Amino acid sequence: MTVIRIPKPPRSAFNKNRPVSSLLKTQILHLREAEKKFPPNYHSNIYINAIKTEGDAAEYIRRVTTTLHQLHREGAGAETRVGPIAAAAEPAPKSEPKQKSKPKSRSKTIAKTTAKTKKKRS
Amino acid sequence: MPAGLDNLKHIVVLMMENRSFDHMLGALKAQNPRIDGLTGNESNPDTTGATVKVQPQAQFQGQLDPDPDHHFPAVDLQIFGGDNSNPRVANMQGFVKSYFNQLRDSKHSQKIMYYFKPEKLPVLSTLAHEFAVFNRWFSSIPGPTICNRAFAHYGTSFGQVSMDIFVIKPPFKSIYERMINANPAHTAKIYYYDQASSTMEIVNLLQHQPQLFGTYEQFIADCEKGSLPQYSFVEPNYNDHDGDSGAIIASDQHPDHHVQEGERFIATVYNAIRDNPALWRTTALLVVYDEHGGIYDHVPPPACPPDGFVASPNDTGTGREFRFDRLGVRVPAILISPWVPKGTVIDGRTFEHASIPATVTKFFLGDYDQRSPREKKADTFLDLLTLDTMRTDAPEFEEQ
Repeated sequence: MTVIRIPKPPRSAFNKNRPVSSLLKTQILHLREAEKKFPPNYHSNIYINAIKTEGDAAEYIRRVTTTLHQLHREGAGAETRVGPIAAAAEPAPKSEPKQKSKPKSRSKTIAKTTAKTKKKRS
Repeated sequence: MPAGLDNLKHIVVLMMENRSFDHMLGALKAQNPRIDGLTGNESNPDTTGATVKVQPQAQFQGQLDPDPDHHFPAVDLQIFGGDNSNPRVANMQGFVKSYFNQLRDSKHSQKIMYYFKPEKLPVLSTLAHEFAVFNRWFSSIPGPTICNRAFAHYGTSFGQVSMDIFVIKPPFKSIYERMINANPAHTAKIYYYDQASSTMEIVNLLQHQPQLFGTYEQFIADCEKGSLPQYSFVEPNYNDHDGDSGAIIASDQHPDHHVQEGERFIATVYNAIRDNPALWRTTALLVVYDEHGGIYDHVPPPACPPDGFVASPNDTGTGREFRFDRLGVRVPAILISPWVPKGTVIDGRTFEHASIPATVTKFFLGDYDQRSPREKKADTFLDLLTLDTMRTDAPEFEEQ
């Protein structure tokens, strides 16, 4: 069995103040199109032209995506044209993110799956 | 039927962002000459006509800033080297010229020719050596993300060659809707990373069918519980943001995001499947990139059957219409399964993102007529699960 060690990126890899890429700008514009169809009281009230950084973009993306799921659950607004698709579960509602400074990435997941694998094999 | 296909119950596709085949896997040719990578002599002219050779100097971050242009006109320049005659031949000689156009810095423009040494990408290099690497998997359009990802979901981009919103045109349906409509017992899902990263398929799928989506956390849980859908499409994290338990680094590998975090993400998806023995035995995982991100590759994209749509000269921005009759630049693609022989190199066959819905449809639905011309002609890849006995030597990834 070959075991491959995966290095972690440095802390400096995390930069939520990085300017938004054209990809993220596009994603924001597409979400804005969806948001336009929300009932007024569900709007994020975020002015998308003021979004300059990845951190800001993430906040807007999170809010609109969360609202979209919420509206779908409530069966209201947003042209919730529900197809005959019964496969997927709704994402569980998430709590507000806590402010922490340490870049973390997915190390826990790798560690967890690895530990589990080792346990099974030991 | 080979035992691998007999056992197959799940197909998982992980689509990363914006890296070319040669940039990520080109150096593997030195280790396995059957892989169509780099000899080290490939080159592009710079704007003075001087030769710029490929170099193994790619770094994880901070090198491809600004983000190399990969919209339709820029990719046209990259592929044809600025030749506007008719007919013209793809020569892959315009990458340095294209990147120069952004900063007008000759030295900086040479970085578009940089590629990774295999030891810098232990996950991708290992998977390529251990399973099946495609020598000819091309992005579907010589253009950017949204239209290319559309081919993975619908088998067409409905005439779109840009990042603009596109509208689904009947009779073509997404692979997810096809499956569920055909049989309510079928299961299909798109897993985005989390709500702050969301999906790139917003206007058509997320907006109208949010129930199709789950998060990466749910993907991991579904793998553990053995409740993965028949077809899963996984999206990486597209931005740096704060999460519930700390800062979360983008894992999509889109320049200028850190490539190592993407490596770790690929490893976690692989581990999640591999760590459940029943799932590992019954799953085929495809790791593929949406497009090349403006980064050099030496293989000219081939012509392909037209898609029935036409992008106007205004839409393409090149002064020429586009009939979807040429593929985009080559991207890394690796098929992972314990039923794939170690060291498989798929040569002599051409794949593109329409191969994804084509494969899923063929396996789960069989004959299905209402598909785009491109998808109907696209090659499928499950015949690569050729082993009669399941491998037990799959590598394991551990955090350092």
